[in-house]
Amino acid sequence: MKAVVVVHGGAWAIPDEISKASVDGVKAAARDGFSVLRRGGSAVDAVESAVRAMEDNTVFDAGHGSVLNTDGEVELDAIIMDGRTLASGAVSSVRNIANPVSLARAVMEKTDHVMLTSRGANLFAKKIGMVTLPTDTLVTEYERNEWEKHKKYVTGVKELFNSQWGHDTVGAVAVDCSGNVACATSTGGIRNKMVGRVGDSPIIGSGGYADNRSGAVSCTGHGESILKVTLARLVLLHTEQDAVELSLRYMGDRVRGGGGAIAVSPSGEWAAKFTTERMAWAAVEHDVLWYGLDPNEKCKEQLSQ
Amino acid sequence: MLPVLVVHGGAGHIPDDRAELACSGLCSATRVGYGVLQGGGSAMDAVVEVVTQLENNPMYNAGCGSVLNAKGEVEMDAIVMDGKTLASGAVSAVRNIANPVQLARLVMDKTSHVCLTAEGAGRFARAMGVPEVPGHSLITDYSRMRWEKNLAPDANPVECQMGKMGTVGAVAVDVEGNVACATSTGGILNCMEGRVGDTPCIGCGGYADNKVGAVSPTGHGEAIMKVTLSRLILFHMEQGQSAEAASDLGLAYMKERVGGLGGVVTVDPRGHWAARFTSRQMAWAAAQQDTLHHGLYTGEHFTQNLDHQP
Repeated sequence: MKAVVVVHGGAWAIPDEISKASVDGVKAAARDGFSVLRRGGSAVDAVESAVRAMEDNTVFDAGHGSVLNTDGEVELDAIIMDGRTLASGAVSSVRNIANPVSLARAVMEKTDHVMLTSRGANLFAKKIGMVTLPTDTLVTEYERNEWEKHKKYVTGVKELFNSQWGHDTVGAVAVDCSGNVACATSTGGIRNKMVGRVGDSPIIGSGGYADNRSGAVSCTGHGESILKVTLARLVLLHTEQDAVELSLRYMGDRVRGGGGAIAVSPSGEWAAKFTTERMAWAAVEHDVLWYGLDPNEKCKEQLSQ
Repeated sequence: MLPVLVVHGGAGHIPDDRAELACSGLCSATRVGYGVLQGGGSAMDAVVEVVTQLENNPMYNAGCGSVLNAKGEVEMDAIVMDGKTLASGAVSAVRNIANPVQLARLVMDKTSHVCLTAEGAGRFARAMGVPEVPGHSLITDYSRMRWEKNLAPDANPVECQMGKMGTVGAVAVDVEGNVACATSTGGILNCMEGRVGDTPCIGCGGYADNKVGAVSPTGHGEAIMKVTLSRLILFHMEQGQSAEAASDLGLAYMKERVGGLGGVVTVDPRGHWAARFTSRQMAWAAAQQDTLHHGLYTGEHFTQNLDHQP
């Protein structure tokens, strides 16, 4: 059994100013996830750990570093799924917690449900002792300024929509030493989104899906398009080698949406593909760290570095 | 063969004293929805109309008659999907409105989003001029009684309420060959506040694609989500299975893989349809050409002439 972890930090026209930080961020998250696998941790542990690392990193639109909704507040979505049992946990529109992916895991492991939203999700977070942080702690000054700029010019979601802007949802997929697969995805959504807007990230089959019989996928990109084609599920329904590419192309043709996806098979094959200008991604298998940003870029580093 | 409308009023265990009303309510709603199609209305218009009828009928676990969450309040979910464009609208955990399916349609038609939740969905409703209704107007004596019973410490909410009152849904193909689906629910009795089931999750609580067909499910929500039941059934149809065979495959998989029971109504763009379930019962009805079909228990298939008004 080959243990592999793949992570992404968003598929969009990542500006040069943050490209290094984005690539560094995904590399660190991939290393993090792999170290969990290497010491015998499960695929679920690995994807949670990798996504937590990116939630804590303000360069990504998840947890710390999230964008603001139209009210100037933070609403977070996340999902985690265990390919062995198809168990899943998701939260949508949860406010002001640092690690939504961990709350999603708690939904999966501590409730009879798959998804909690909004106030109910926050009540559950409180019940299990998860701390709520002030908005200013989670949001960067850069984001606050961008949000105000957009507000002034009434640049709503319609412009960010389907354009190459701000799709830096984060996610991870993994297969562990026992051949179990898992996925996790986390986001703060689209800047200036309507209050209560739920994108693809917490929706099972869209933002992520994991099944030991076929593999695990995590998606990023234009949320509404990903939803319309249930992208994660679509990738896993294809049995061809280039399932990710075929699915992304379908999304582009059928609903004119762009994005990216990472996928891992139960036997350890993996892919990281995107139809946007860039996607920050990284993968670790054996002792090699692979990563990229621009199309067709695939850099390599020895893990011991 | 076209148009066709297939409707369900929940899968599970409907007590005998409520069964007849559940079936007759479904039949009359189906007649109304089919009238929309016969008049040249779209598949989307028809599914929204029939689900609206069922939301307004206190017999079903949707709109008025919704089950109560742990706090004794009503939180509702709904979805619509248009098979032509794959456009979709959904609301989750919405309160104090009579017709969540209509709000879901507004999300699809009037926003650039696919799903709105909770307070945001409520705010959108007000912005659209959707009337706010007091919570108690959605609560029936029956749903309150079920809720109180379930507060007993040894009650198992999933068993206790499986389809005793049902999620509602519909699929349709109109004269132009466009397909659509709609599903609406009050969720699971005594569930945690903010619990979201399959209904508003695209691919789970419904899916519609002109190239393949449309599905609306009912049953154990968490199980439907884990197997993305609607998308799965349509996948089998893409592989060449009939609506009926694909539905059975999907339901069997859900039972085998995650131990969940439920039912679906399914249609393909040529008008072949199926109403299939692994639960003990599913109230269903279908209208096509001059015939109204309906059933409740496994194997039942009654027909009536559509011109016959009971």
